[in-house]
Amino acid sequence: MSFTKHVNLQTNKYDNSLEPTALDATVVDFDGVVYRISTPTSKNVILFSLSWQCFPELVKWGVHGMLKKEYGPYFSAETENGYNFTLEFNLKVLPEAKEDREELVNKVSLIKRNLLAQPFERAFVQQRQFEDEKQPNPTPDLMQIQYREQEAIYIQAQHDRVTVIFSTLFKEETDRIIGRVFLQEFVDARRHPTIQNAPQVLYSNKEPPLEIRHLPELQSLGDNEEVGYVTFGHPVPSSLYKTRCKRGNHIPNPTLSRLPPLSYKMFKSLHAFENASTCTSFSESLE
Amino acid sequence: MTRLPPVIMDNGTGYTKLGFAGNNAPSFVFPTVIATRDASKRGIEDLDFFIGNEALSNSKTYGLHYPIRHGQIENWDYMERFWEQSIFKYLRCEPEDHYFLLTEPPLNAPENREQTAEIMFESFNIQGLYIAVQAVLALAASWTTKEKKDYVLTGTVIDSGDGVTHVIPVAEGYVIGSSIKHIPIAGRDITYFVQQLLRDRSENSIPKEDSLKVAEKIKEQFSYVCPDIVKEFQRYDQEGDKYFQKYNGVHSVTGKSYEVDVGFERFLGPEIFFNPEIASSDFLTPIPEVVDNVIQSCPIDTRRGLYKNIVLSGGSTMFKDFGKRLQRDIKRIVDLRVRKSEELSGGSLKATAVDVNVVSHKKQRYAVWYGGSLLGQTSEFYSYCHSKAEYEERGPSICRHNRVFGSLNT
Amino acid sequence: MSNTLRSYLTAVRSTLTAALCLTNFPSQVVERHNKPEIEALSSLEVVLNPLTISRNENEQVLIEPSVNSIRISIKIKQADEIERILCHKFTRFMMLRAENFIILRRKPIPGYDISFLITNFHTEAMYKHKIVDFIIQFMEEVDKEISEMKLSLNSRARIVAESYLSQFA
Repeated sequence: MSFTKHVNLQTNKYDNSLEPTALDATVVDFDGVVYRISTPTSKNVILFSLSWQCFPELVKWGVHGMLKKEYGPYFSAETENGYNFTLEFNLKVLPEAKEDREELVNKVSLIKRNLLAQPFERAFVQQRQFEDEKQPNPTPDLMQIQYREQEAIYIQAQHDRVTVIFSTLFKEETDRIIGRVFLQEFVDARRHPTIQNAPQVLYSNKEPPLEIRHLPELQSLGDNEEVGYVTFGHPVPSSLYKTRCKRGNHIPNPTLSRLPPLSYKMFKSLHAFENASTCTSFSESLE
Repeated sequence: MTRLPPVIMDNGTGYTKLGFAGNNAPSFVFPTVIATRDASKRGIEDLDFFIGNEALSNSKTYGLHYPIRHGQIENWDYMERFWEQSIFKYLRCEPEDHYFLLTEPPLNAPENREQTAEIMFESFNIQGLYIAVQAVLALAASWTTKEKKDYVLTGTVIDSGDGVTHVIPVAEGYVIGSSIKHIPIAGRDITYFVQQLLRDRSENSIPKEDSLKVAEKIKEQFSYVCPDIVKEFQRYDQEGDKYFQKYNGVHSVTGKSYEVDVGFERFLGPEIFFNPEIASSDFLTPIPEVVDNVIQSCPIDTRRGLYKNIVLSGGSTMFKDFGKRLQRDIKRIVDLRVRKSEELSGGSLKATAVDVNVVSHKKQRYAVWYGGSLLGQTSEFYSYCHSKAEYEERGPSICRHNRVFGSLNT
Repeated sequence: MSNTLRSYLTAVRSTLTAALCLTNFPSQVVERHNKPEIEALSSLEVVLNPLTISRNENEQVLIEPSVNSIRISIKIKQADEIERILCHKFTRFMMLRAENFIILRRKPIPGYDISFLITNFHTEAMYKHKIVDFIIQFMEEVDKEISEMKLSLNSRARIVAESYLSQFA
């Protein structure tokens, strides 16, 4: 996932030919992530703060270690009020070369992906311990990340796979029904011979999958029609993970499970209907 | 959950400005263009398209379309897809979590607003929508330079982009449609004029294929508006070293660098606003006169307010001292008229002087977007929006009218 | 067209043709008012007995005649929840544009999916048999439309899912 807008915002600032300017911008990302890029004290010091409601959970799964490793030199001791952490960039001590700067901007723009990747990495490590016969089997954590209000990702390593469960909640009935159609197709699509290698997908409505059924907060949800669960199993040899980790695409995109509501396009051909009083043109509706 | 900032989208004929309310610059500015292709790919070809700069760079294999013509949306299908990528690919936000502020040209048909509302609510499921008139937002943007008591929505907006310049009078948040005037001189014409000047001077160092680009760069970097064209020529002749400058360019093909002397075109470029006869033969009214005519054609009780608050917006009003010169020239016309009427009355009438004021500010380039950003961050904004619930209840017709706001908090 | 559908539509057609016998009838209650009596219900003696034509419990037509207006409400077949929302979206789309359909009512009668209101002014301005044709045609095609939309929704979902998962292959 590339966060073009931050790259865009920041390359402007890193461009050598431009004088540093004062800035204060708040931008958002999917799943209620809010970033603030500002220069409160001096034009040469850019603060980059992030707030995300599931950050405390990510901290539990060692996200601080990742931040230290990836963004160590820029990690600010003080955190801006209302945000989870702050990175600080002093324009005077940034790398000079244009490519290095661009790389840095890229790295910063990948921050949300890196944060969310942390629990996955952890699950992959634990899964490898299962495979490694020399080491004792670990007790894998069931990692819960409440990435949106009322929607969560659950990640757990198992002896032959890593299971990822997304709980989905469609507020509107229309979204829920269409969502179910689409998600059901994910389950069925694997029958297609060319994509047998894809991770296994399961979808259930109302009923939480076995792995997380014991969680008390889910039981209280009871018969809520609006809730669904999508399970991705990753039964791929661990060697594959490594390459995929690097490519950064091993993480199912949580935004995928949020489908746009029924498209207006479905009905656009109805305009013809208005005039001709005939339904026939309606047939090519759903493109 | 805290409320996420409203999304501000200003879709212009040339460029689209995208961003979030409260920021002082748009996050994205890219051409309003979409690239599509027909090649059938198992029924999802409607997802195979690019917008903005990506569209331009894919123009070899895709067909380009400009969904907005003369400020109005012409192709709704392309526009919907353009919005789709604007929101999901560029802004990366979930429309159901945000309010949206869109802009429209003056004299937009209410049907267009309805259509926009339908797409926004049905396809994108947004929380709320407000459609603002661009000129009104440009007025709001000028508040940055003013005291709170001067936060008014009466004024004359001079909006000059790349293609055309508009002079739009606005009284208390409503555009006086019958008095709007267009001037066929804008950024592109200045660029052509500068290019012509360079060519006439037989400036040989500029490679032919780069000449338009060089002209544009010179226009952007060196141009300013002079108080008096004759005196300025004299000044250049006497102490040229002080005024002549050099432009350093790199040949786009060979990569060789070259130098161009920049002289009179520094002030002659923008001068075509004030003396159009030097560049064109079919439009000859100078901009101060156009502004004066516009205001004179407005209802008499609004005129003082319109003279008092002449607001600049758009990239082609960014020339240094543009505002100053405009203010002086308009003031001259107005004072002349006032003096004449005093004379005609035989000294029995004494007029109060008319206050002419041209407002320049730092946010001029994206004034419309910035005005939207200012209004979008206020707490009243939400109460003026048409919400999803209202839409569900009453249908798209609620968006035919958008209440003016901002003038209330004076 | 299946046989049951044909006889169902024939029944609707002949009932409608018979019911569309409307005349100008100003209000008996308020001077200079001329309201569809079936909606106003101001003088009950001019409202006739309503009639239901039913193919099965999910497909019914309710025809409520009166002296100067007639109201037709249709219940459209909805086999599952996908069809239900498609039908809802479809009828909602039409009802949002009711003015373009002239005889369409902005709201259906409770228990039905879509309602039409035909007054004597409509029958004066338009051919009676064309109005009947329009309603019959709507009934004929709406089922087809909805099942086609359902099919294309499913195939769209399949394509999306396959394209997404093929990244892993």
